[in-house]
Formats: sequence, structure tokens, C-alpha cells
Amino acid sequence: MLSIKNLHASVEGKEILKGINLEIKAGEVHAIMGPNGSGKSTLSQVLAGNEAFEVTEGEVTLNGENLLDLETEERAREGIFLAFQYPVEIPGVSNLQFLRTAVNAMRTHRGEEEMNAAEFMKLAKEVSKQVDLDPSFLKRGVNEGFSGGEKKRNEIMQALLLQPKLAILDETDSGLDIDALKVVSDGVNALRSEDRAILMVTHYQRLLNHIVPDYVHVLAGGRIIKSGGRELALELEEKGYGWLGIKDEETADSAAN
Amino acid sequence: MKPAPTLSAAFLESAGQSLPKALLDLRKQRGTALVDMPLPTRKTENWKYSSKYLKLTDEMASSLPSQGKALTGQEVPGYRIVFLNGVIQPEASKFPQADGIRIASFRDLDDQEAAELADQLDNTLDDKAVQLARLNAARFEDGLLIRLKPDAVLDQPLFVIHEVTADASGSAFPRIFIDAGRHSQATLVEEYRSSGSEPVMVNTVTEFQLADGANITNLRLTMEGENVQHIGATGVRQQRNARFESHTVGFGGPLRRHDLQVRLEGEGGECKLNGVVVTQGKQHYDNHTTIEHVAAHCNSEETYRNIAADQSHAVFNGRIHIHQDAQKSNADMNNKNLLLSNGAEIDTKPELEIYADDVKCAHGATIGQLDEISLFYLVSRGIARREANVLLTMAFINELVEQIPLETVRETAHTRLNQFFDQTFQEV
Ligand SMILES: Nc1ncnc2c1ncn2[C@@H]1O[C@H](COP(=O)(O)OP(=O)(O)OP(=O)(O)O)[C@@H](O)[C@H]1O
Ligand SMILES: [Mg+2]
Repeated sequence: MLSIKNLHASVEGKEILKGINLEIKAGEVHAIMGPNGSGKSTLSQVLAGNEAFEVTEGEVTLNGENLLDLETEERAREGIFLAFQYPVEIPGVSNLQFLRTAVNAMRTHRGEEEMNAAEFMKLAKEVSKQVDLDPSFLKRGVNEGFSGGEKKRNEIMQALLLQPKLAILDETDSGLDIDALKVVSDGVNALRSEDRAILMVTHYQRLLNHIVPDYVHVLAGGRIIKSGGRELALELEEKGYGWLGIKDEETADSAAN
Repeated sequence: MKPAPTLSAAFLESAGQSLPKALLDLRKQRGTALVDMPLPTRKTENWKYSSKYLKLTDEMASSLPSQGKALTGQEVPGYRIVFLNGVIQPEASKFPQADGIRIASFRDLDDQEAAELADQLDNTLDDKAVQLARLNAARFEDGLLIRLKPDAVLDQPLFVIHEVTADASGSAFPRIFIDAGRHSQATLVEEYRSSGSEPVMVNTVTEFQLADGANITNLRLTMEGENVQHIGATGVRQQRNARFESHTVGFGGPLRRHDLQVRLEGEGGECKLNGVVVTQGKQHYDNHTTIEHVAAHCNSEETYRNIAADQSHAVFNGRIHIHQDAQKSNADMNNKNLLLSNGAEIDTKPELEIYADDVKCAHGATIGQLDEISLFYLVSRGIARREANVLLTMAFINELVEQIPLETVRETAHTRLNQFFDQTFQEV
């Protein structure tokens, strides 16, 4: 489904990604772990098409199509979804209006009819229940004044509404209490299917108890320095990143989240 | 040194005589005061950003014809008064008839009413500050008088459609005077529109006198064409516990100037002034507002938003003057500005003069662009870039548009805003 080859990217002249290689097949769940500042969010943002980051080398294909040639909105319509590490607050645009516009953009792209306000309201209420967000959140501005956990649930709600082919979850588990973690992981597990792939960035093994990954990768200094099965996550939890030759103060445990 | 330009004498030539004598006399007297009036230049403080847009030709000095076919068969949910080129068209209008409410054309006043009105007119605006709008008093050929007796309530909004037909160059000088008695209530909508394409000027003055407890809402939609210079002034004087609310929605033109001056003269008075201004192309729009807190215990709340696209230019100048005796004044002024292109310009200036010591006065002004990260967030959900731009631009003004208390006016605003978006944000 997704193939990343020798991907280099920089921001403001500084190289952050220094040759990423990654293959993700439909149906798979991949976890990316790694110290703060190692480039996990940069990779996520580059895949979603954030123009603040410049791709200087390498290629990325989605089902054989050159992803890097596509505009952000086209990538989304082709099925890329990024749950932001820091979801953006947009006062003045209601969450409901935002979600409906997004869903209808996707439907139009697929040649389906747009949903009217009433139909969408019904759907949105169901999905908001699924992520345990009170429907009153639909009326508020996009993420406006939402708590950290509410923002993350709103991201998962969007994923559930948009039904992407590749969901990239950038620390969607950070800042969640136990109950919210359960809600969010149930949401992600509901997304799991044979024709969908999930790439999740996390610092914590605890998420991986709920969403069991097929592969775990360690990203450090802009490169994937180790890959393995789910047991790699357990090993990291136990030993930190030190044994991989990464400076101690950069370990995930010191991450201020 | 070149002498400062003055108002051409052509602009002071006597206009039509179809008014009661008292008003003709007033007009003449006001005209005399304007002989050799200097025109605003770059050096005139309150016109420094706008004088270069002012283009008064002698052709423009003539009055536009007071008869013709009004465009407007427009249905409105309320009463309707149509001004065509500054003159009321009774056939196109629907006057309210109710006890305690007198609404009439200046032309239809008897001598006594006209004399009474002549005494009251031109008492709400600061002559020194409005300059060009003073020309209205020298040139008006008709006007709308609204008198609300104490406790009178106008049961439906009154829509005043100001239309100019610019088939030849010239000017129109519509005028409205509202005398709102104690505890009276009314909503007045002013809608400015035009047809034709010759360069013309609309020079319009609206005055409100609010007695104790009167409650007046004024909606103003400025939507004339690219050939129309609009010079408008609104003067408001409020007595004890009177409340005035205004909602302006303005679209730019070659020159758009509106002076809004509110005097809170009785304790407990309250005013709320909202404005949304949108400019594009090479358009201009200049709002100058003044709120005078003369009496104690008054509240004022002002929120203006400008959006400037392309090479357009918007100006906001908000002055709050809290007089020495105006203790416990509460004044809140907020102006936010959105630049949609690098070529656009917005000048904003809050001016606070505070002479009382026990007051609450807050003000804020910002100028910014659409937020790239918000834009990325929206398009990352598959939303088209144009749509994302529209959502964020609307987000900037939505709150103010939603506060407009009449649905038809909100709809008109939305329709015009959509045209603006179509022209400003290209499909990608
Ligand atoms: N817009 C930007 N401008 C400058 N530097 C940036 C920008 N975005 C990211 N960086 C830098 O790129 C590096 C990688 O950042 P990134 O956010 O990808 O790390 P991360 O692995 O997601 O870290 P964390 O675990 O803290 O979320 C950091 O050094 C960061 O400061
Ligand atoms: Mg990150």
C-alpha cells in the first residue's frame, strides 16, 4: 500500500529525515517509536503533504501512485489520514460544519451524493458516541477549547467518518487517561481491516497492548535504526533507547507530554 | 506652494426647490458655510489614508435625476422606503401607518413640522470631523423623517433602499432623521445600491436622537457599484438608558467613507457597534467611528472586522472619548483585520482619550493573514483549498454576521460575500 524509499526532508534548511525506508501493506499495523525530536511527526506531516517541509530526496508511493506529486487535499481523497499530534483549534468554524465539509468532499470525490445537514447530523451523533464525545462538541468551534484528550477523540472521530486507507496516528495516545485510551484504541481497532493500514507514532507500550502492531520501528536521528515485531516495543519499554546507542537524555521516558 | 484645493463652487449651486421653506432656508445657510471649504488632503489627519481616492469632478456636482425607474420591486419583510437618487419615491414605498408614529418625506411636511425639523437637523455630527458629509445639508432635496412618540414601537423593520442610477455623472444626497421618543423602539435598515456605470457620488447623512430608554437598531449595507463614491455619516445622540445598536456590512468601492459618531449623553446609555468590511481589486473602504462617553455609567462595545484582498485598502479609525464626568464608563473596542494578499493594505488606529479616572476601557487591534496551519489541517481532510480559504475567512467574520438581527439582511450579506469569495479564491 505505502512504500517509502530513501526519504529525505528538511525544514528551514535543516535536514530532519535522512533516508527513511518503510513498506506498509494493506491490513498491517505499524508502530513507530523513538526519542523526542527524532523526526516522527516530520515523517507524518510529510506524508500528509505539509509544505512547510521540503522533500529533498527519495520517493513515496501509495498503491503505486507517486504520493509526493499530489496536493494535500488529493492525498486525503486518495485515503491518507493524519491524526495530528497537536490538533489545530479553529474558532469560528463549527466542528459540525468542518466534518460535514470534509465528508462531502470525500463523497464528491468518490462520485457519491453529498449528505444533507440532517443526514450528516445523524451520522455525526453516532460516531461522536463511538468516541465518547458529547454531541455538544459538534456545535463548538473545531477543537476550540477542547481538552487534550477531547482533541484526540475528535481526531479519531474524523478518521471514523472519513474511513481512510492509511491512517497515520501521531501520538494519538498521548495525554489520554485510561478510559480515554480505551475509547481511542477501540476506535482505532474499529478502523482495522484487510484493506486498510495503520501507522501509529507512540512513546508508550501501553497503547500497543490495546492495538497490537504487526511491526515496530525505532526512528532516531531521522532514520529507522531498528525494526521488529511487537516484542521490540516491550524491549524498549524495559531498556529505554540506550541499548540502541542513543543518548540517554533523549529517551522516551524523559518525553514531556 | 500650491493653495489647498477647495470645494468647487459648482457643488454649492442651488438644487431643486421642492422642499418646505424652513428646510430650504436651512440648506441655504449650511451651503454658505461651505464656500471655499478646503477639501481633505493627505495632510488632513482623518483623511490621510483616503484623500487620494477622492475624485470630485464638476460633472459630479449636478444632482442626479429625481425621477426614473427604481430597480427595486424588491420585497422586504417590513416597511419599505425607496430613495431614488436622494428623493423618496412614494409609489415604490410602503409607509407604516400607526398611532404614535410619523414617517414622512421632508417634501410632505407642513410649515410647522418643517420648522420644527429644521431646528433639529444637523445636531448630531461634529462638523470638524465629518467635512464632506456636511455637503449633504447644503444639497439634500428630500429626506425621511421618522418620529416615534413615547412608547411607540415600530412593529416591523423599516427598510430604506437608497438607490442611485448612474447613467450620467452626478450626485445624490439622501438624508434620514429619526426622533425616537421615550422608550420607543424601531429597527431601521439602510441598503445602498446602484445601477449604471458613470462616476457618481452618494453623500448621505442619517441622524438619530434617542430620548430616555429609546431602543434603536440600525443596519447598514453598503453595496454600490465600482463607479460610486460613497460618503456617509451617521450621528447618534443618546439620553438616559437609551440603547443603540448598529450593524454595518460594507463592500468596497472607488471610495467608501463612513463616519459613525455616537454621543452617550445620559446615564445608563448603551451602544453596540458592529462592522464587517470587505474590499477587493483596487477598492477602498474607510470607517471612522467616534464614541463620546459624556455621561457616567454608560457602556459601549465596538467590534469591526476588515478583510482586504488583492490590492485593496481598508482603514479603521476608532476613537473613544471619555469625558471627565463619565465615571464608571465601560468601553470595549476591538478591531481585527485580515489581509488576503500581500498587495492589500489595512490601516487601523484606536484613539483613546480618557479624562475620567474610574473607567474600564479595553481596546485591541490586530492585522493578520489566514493561518497556514489551520489551512493545512482543513485540506488534510480532503477539503478543497478554495473551500478551506472560505471557511477560514468566514470564521473571521461569522460571529458578526450571525449577530445581524434580520435574516434577510444576513442572506444578502452571505450572497455578496459568496461573490467576493468566488472572485478572490480561485479554484485549484
Ligand atoms: N517548523 C519547524 N521549524 C523548525 N524546526 C522544526 C520544525 N518542525 C520540526 N522541527 C524540528 O525537527 C526535528 C524533528 O521534529 P519532530 O516534530 O518530527 O520530532 P518528533 O519525533 O515528532 O518528536 P516528539 O516525540 O517530541 O513529538 C526537531 O528537532 C524539531 O525541532
Ligand atoms: Mg512528534
